[in-house]
Amino acid sequence: MAAQRLSHTTALILKALSLNYRFGFEIMEVTGLPSGTVYPALRRLERDKLVQSDWEPEAEAIEHARPMRRYYQITKAGKTVVLSATERYPLLARFVPEKQA
Amino acid sequence: MIPSLPSPLPVLDRALLHLVCRLVPLAERPDWLRCWQAELWHRHHLRSTEPGSTAIDLYPGLVRDALWLYTESIHMALEGTALLCIELLAAILLFAIVPLFALSGSGHALLGLLMFNADRFLCGAVLVTLVSFATGSRTVEHESPASLAPRFRAQIFLAAKLVLVLTIAFLLSLDLTQPFHTAHPFTAEILQPQFFVFMALLGLRWNFQDQDNRCKHCLRELATPEQVGRPSWNFLYSNSTELLCKDGHGLLSVPEIETSWRQSSRWIASS
Repeated sequence: MAAQRLSHTTALILKALSLNYRFGFEIMEVTGLPSGTVYPALRRLERDKLVQSDWEPEAEAIEHARPMRRYYQITKAGKTVVLSATERYPLLARFVPEKQA
Repeated sequence: MIPSLPSPLPVLDRALLHLVCRLVPLAERPDWLRCWQAELWHRHHLRSTEPGSTAIDLYPGLVRDALWLYTESIHMALEGTALLCIELLAAILLFAIVPLFALSGSGHALLGLLMFNADRFLCGAVLVTLVSFATGSRTVEHESPASLAPRFRAQIFLAAKLVLVLTIAFLLSLDLTQPFHTAHPFTAEILQPQFFVFMALLGLRWNFQDQDNRCKHCLRELATPEQVGRPSWNFLYSNSTELLCKDGHGLLSVPEIETSWRQSSRWIASS
């Protein structure tokens, strides 16, 4: 997907993913976007191969006594797109803070 | 199998999941349910950084996610199919009738106008079809003989497109000339057949190209064109573009340059 076709909202979600935010509502919280926007956008990004999703390791979930969650990771193509999106939307970096360890 | 949660979800969440999951295609349903159960569970049990946020915030996302999967499955199932092509042409046909209907003022007057021009349509259509078949149609070699049913289906599809394209071209030519027919009847009479022939020739050229670029088994548009070989290989090996059927029925090899041993495209069916 060309960066020109990436909407500001999608670029924001991709930026959050590039900063290591991995889960659906983590992205909702950090971007301030509603769930009705975030989840379909994640599906579209995954279809366009800018993002890939996987289940978190079972051992990790068992250790914290919680169900396994689907997490999203930006792909190499996604990183290229987010770089050009940051050039196109210079304020993008300001909207999404770095993730604290 | 969907693993059980450490603690059950509230009744409202479970009811919504149960209801909405019906939208999700069967193959993806277990994964979708597992994903949303986990999301809702975490929303209930992990503290949010935003005050006042609840699991209800996730409900629009849950519904839109299921709707997205539903529409995407329909899109994937219909994309490039013969049915979609016919439906699109039928929609264009209806769209082309609207200006004529507006100009005529009533259905009866429109019918009269079409009947009055019917002989002109038939003459032009026969002429354009003959010329197009003589100049535009290409043969596709089949590596193994194709069975009768798919070939018959392909011919029916080609004929349906031909009729629709010719009718659309004729209606559009009337759309373009009827507005000034009362002021300049002679000019309109001269221009209308010319517009019709021009648009019909373009339409039929598209029809043949479209037919060539479809799977010979399911009539779906072929995808992922790949260049095989290079021009310098033309006399030694292969220099062509290969297109694949998404459903895996075979591939079409289209030569870049026509040679005495390779004049037409070749359909290679999957065994």
